[in-house]
Amino acid sequence: MTPSEQRLHPASILFDTARYARIFAGPALLALVTSSRGGGPMGRSGYGFPNLDTWMWVLILPSVVLSVARYLSFRLQYEPDQLVIRSGVLFRNVRHLPYARIQNLDAVQNVFHRAFGVVDVRVETGGGSEPEARMSVLPVAALDEMRARVFAGRARPAATEQAAPGLAEQPDVETTSELLHLPLRELLLCGFLENKGMVLVGAAYGALWEAGALNRVWSWLFEGNVDARGLLREVVAALLGRGPLPVGRVFLALGGVAVFLILVRLISMAWAFVRLYDFRLTRRGDDLRATFGLLTRVTATIPLRRVQIVTIDQGWLHRRLGRASVRVETAGGQAGSAVRDREWVAPLIRIERVPHLVAEILPGVVLGDARWEPVHPRAFRRAVKRSIFVALIVTFAITVVIGWRGLAVSVPLVAWAVVTARQHVRHLGWAATSEWVAFRSGWLTRGQTLVKVNRIQAVSTHASPLDRRAAMARVRVDTAGASERSHRVDIPYLGVDVAEALRQRLAAHAARTTFKW
Amino acid sequence: MTSLDPRFVAQQRVVGRVLVLALSTATMLVLLIVFAAADSLATWARLVLGVCWLAAVTIGAWAAERWPALDYAHTGYQLDDDGLQVRRGVLWQTVTHVPRSRVQHTDVSQGPLERRYGLGTLVVYTAGTDHARVALPGLAHEVARALRDELRAERVDDTV
Repeated sequence: MTPSEQRLHPASILFDTARYARIFAGPALLALVTSSRGGGPMGRSGYGFPNLDTWMWVLILPSVVLSVARYLSFRLQYEPDQLVIRSGVLFRNVRHLPYARIQNLDAVQNVFHRAFGVVDVRVETGGGSEPEARMSVLPVAALDEMRARVFAGRARPAATEQAAPGLAEQPDVETTSELLHLPLRELLLCGFLENKGMVLVGAAYGALWEAGALNRVWSWLFEGNVDARGLLREVVAALLGRGPLPVGRVFLALGGVAVFLILVRLISMAWAFVRLYDFRLTRRGDDLRATFGLLTRVTATIPLRRVQIVTIDQGWLHRRLGRASVRVETAGGQAGSAVRDREWVAPLIRIERVPHLVAEILPGVVLGDARWEPVHPRAFRRAVKRSIFVALIVTFAITVVIGWRGLAVSVPLVAWAVVTARQHVRHLGWAATSEWVAFRSGWLTRGQTLVKVNRIQAVSTHASPLDRRAAMARVRVDTAGASERSHRVDIPYLGVDVAEALRQRLAAHAARTTFKW
Repeated sequence: MTSLDPRFVAQQRVVGRVLVLALSTATMLVLLIVFAAADSLATWARLVLGVCWLAAVTIGAWAAERWPALDYAHTGYQLDDDGLQVRRGVLWQTVTHVPRSRVQHTDVSQGPLERRYGLGTLVVYTAGTDHARVALPGLAHEVARALRDELRAERVDDTV
């Protein structure tokens, strides 16, 4: 097919004006109301206030001008392997969309569109949340031509047009294998470790407080006239040698706290039992399937090709008990919807079984092969400066509040700052092979993130002024569907040359693979 | 790494001047209204405010003249077999590396001011999160177009 050009349908001007007018409809209505009912000195008489017709023109005219400009400037051109869209009068833009990247051609035709024989076309590549190109409106024949050209080289053009997506995804041969099953003991342990009871307790506390029942509880606990703050004050006074220590009430309060904490864990365990009852993770063909739940039975399917990142989390207690939890981040898949999700594949798993699970989710990743590299030797010196600085600010604030005695706080605070900085830096680590890259961090709570090279979208090095003074840089690996809060491959305190080499290496490996949604 | 087009410095200076002019005019108007409305404002307070305004405008104007050259010196790009590298940032320096096979689609755009200086902006889109949109402004327009074509031409298309 030869390159040819397509313009918008002249009816675009009409539809565009209508669309812009709808945006202006609110202000226009407001103007109408104020100009007809405004009871002030400039109200109904209209002195110094333009009448409704003028308002309409002020609102409509720009939208007409914009619509005409858009209609005149828009050009759609078919090249052998890509779509070229030119638009804009003052700010001109030329967009090149390769056919191979186009995930979805959406066409909307409402009653008005049908009357003119036109369609509103959206082209999506699956990258962002917005359509990559919107053509409002094209003649119906142009849509057929676009479909023919865009999907010319495709094996399954029907699948992209939402023809039974469920059927298309079923592989011919299904091999089912169970990867994880949580028996009752593990379920309760999972609830104990997750400790989500606080949420429920918080809700209950709020409800009781609203109902006024808490006052009675407190007055029962502290005999009516002493509240918890009074207790704390008395304890502080006793520690400073200014009064007797209220031993009985202190024990009562501590006991209360202990009971409360145990209760929270128990609630969390019960909640995990209800939520994750009979958790099973199986692999069927190229899908992971998780089924769980006591009251509502949930079946979640995660196609492996949608997995972008795998994260292994370990709290302090997890490590004491030889457990970990594994989650994946998925993105894309459904043409154009760019769904971003964060899903558990293993709420709790024995640490020795993690490599097996990871190998199932990310074929080719052998965790045991990882050669973990530390960060720069001078990283501690930088980290400790920062945490001591924070400690000193806290000390200063405390000193301002309670006087010179506050300075005593600085000793444990600074000591703690040094310890945390030491441990933080010691537990930073990264590993990169030609197939995948991994980053781990955390002292008490540890996280470890794995990304396969074919999921890398971009690699960047960042150097802040402090980084540059120390000849260091940070390497970040960007993937689809990564959220800001999640643990991701973001390696700080690398020597400049190490960071540079790592970026070059990852980009080179990534360039040699192709990314498919 | 290749530098941007030197005309970018001149163009950015114009952008800076326009920005400083607009901001200083707006703040001056606000200041004048305050002076007119607040009768009780002491003369020394008026003087301090005026001097502050003058200082801010002077610093702004100086930065508008100096910053584009600094920015120019710290910006660069490189296109090779692996992909496009874009270096940006004077204080916080970043190098973004987009592998060739991860480019989803591209834009080459040109605003009115850019057109006067023969400049254009190349924008590369990926399916990523932080770098879903990697912009490289300040290229000669024909260089931007050539880069885009080159980025497309040598695509490696082996599957995994």
